[in-house]
Amino acid sequence: MIKFDSVSKAYSHGNFQLKDISLQIDTNEFVFLVGPSGAGKTTLLKMILKDIIPTSGSIFVNDMEITDNKFTAIDKLRQQIGVVFQDFKIINDKNIFENVALSLKITQTAKKVIQDEVVKVLTMVGLEEKKLMFPIQLSAGELQRAAIARAIIGGRDIILADEPTGNLDPKTAWEIMRIFKKLDHEEKTIIIATHNVDIVNSFKKRVIALKEGMIKKDLRSASYEL
Amino acid sequence: MNDILKSIKRTPYQSLASFMILFFTLFLSLFFFSLTSFSYGFLSYVETKPEVTVYFDTKTKETDVLKIKDTLIKSGKVSDINYTSQEDALKIYRDLNKDNPLLLEMVSADILPSSLGIYANKPVYLAEIADYLKKQPGVDEVEFQKNIVDKLITVTSVMRQISMFIFLFLLLISFIVLMTTTAFKIALKKDEIELLQLLGAAKGYIRRPFLIEGLVFGAFAATIAFVLFYGILFYLKPFLNTYLSGIGNLPFYNLGEFGFNVWPPSVNYIALSFAATNLFGMIIGLFGNLIATSKYIK
Repeated sequence: MIKFDSVSKAYSHGNFQLKDISLQIDTNEFVFLVGPSGAGKTTLLKMILKDIIPTSGSIFVNDMEITDNKFTAIDKLRQQIGVVFQDFKIINDKNIFENVALSLKITQTAKKVIQDEVVKVLTMVGLEEKKLMFPIQLSAGELQRAAIARAIIGGRDIILADEPTGNLDPKTAWEIMRIFKKLDHEEKTIIIATHNVDIVNSFKKRVIALKEGMIKKDLRSASYEL
Repeated sequence: MNDILKSIKRTPYQSLASFMILFFTLFLSLFFFSLTSFSYGFLSYVETKPEVTVYFDTKTKETDVLKIKDTLIKSGKVSDINYTSQEDALKIYRDLNKDNPLLLEMVSADILPSSLGIYANKPVYLAEIADYLKKQPGVDEVEFQKNIVDKLITVTSVMRQISMFIFLFLLLISFIVLMTTTAFKIALKKDEIELLQLLGAAKGYIRRPFLIEGLVFGAFAATIAFVLFYGILFYLKPFLNTYLSGIGNLPFYNLGEFGFNVWPPSVNYIALSFAATNLFGMIIGLFGNLIATSKYIK
């Protein structure tokens, strides 16, 4: 469960990036974060990762109050969260297998387990055949599929995706979203920040609309209007 | 180790650049370390060359002269004392004038003074020893070239300070150059470091490969620098010997008695150089990478 309780993030000159956000996302829930550029979608996702610290308010992730000054287990928190970025963040001098294995290697997982798990997730995203290829040899859609594989491997139960289809053509964007649809059947909490109206409307999932740092709409099975 | 080899294979030019900078730094460090050690040993050798010569009255008993000799040895300030008795002085006189029988007939041991030739551990002790001798009974004359000794003390002291300054300067420059290049190399890994942090890698986990790489590169570069430096030194040894053959063993600072000689380089000294170069290489490799990674690890 993820809970924001009156969370604000202010700039030093008084403008707000996020203003008085209160929301709760239940375990295994699928949520879209929508809103124009600068609405605060990325800031909100980064706060869940404790990559941005709020100016005020409290954030709880899986019963941990991550905004508490005493909370220092940032690495443990992030090991529960898989992140998918718009620009993929795939390491160019590692092959696809090594890129995906990174998520497990950092937790000192045994080699055999890494081998099996990586093959399993790469098969799931349709990249098993290309595991030894380097990023330069793959298309944008394939790189994003590798990034999703890296995000879901190792039982990470929260998946944050920041504009995962932003750099992809419509056909590839749908392919990527089909993978997220598959993940919806697994026990994972998924939060996707996006601009893509068609995708949001086709999923019929909870939509949280942000504007100027505030929640404008929070509706279950809603649609997104520009 | 596999990860390091992979990293070298995949970024060969960056790895070669880092390695070459480490290698040149360590080669120069080893060169200056050896030069500084040699200078120190050579200065110490030069400093022991001046002597105080004391001539005794012809009537002074040999036992009194030997008593003064013992006192000086016990002071710990003397490296060597040569006693020349009246008979020894006569022998020297005869050798010097063996082609002139007239001069030999006129001289007997009784009219020649006995003497002590005193070499000090440090030149600053010479004036002190000369003053002590002048106060002793039975002393006729004390010969001591004060001006030359004073100049020698000044020159050796300045040379020591200059060599130490050069060594420290080189150390500083090496460290800055290395840190800058490592920072450049790590800047290329900035995205990877940021990603690892977002995936939940601990700081130690992110740093470890960089630190191990620094250690391995440092040790490897140090070994190559060492082999090349001593290869050149031993190749040039016969040539250098023609200039340095008369000076005997030059100790490494005060460790000569433990077999550490700068010239000719003893096994102990070579082993020490190898250990010191490797240690220095690993330290700068390790700390250079530690400081450089700190910039990107929050």
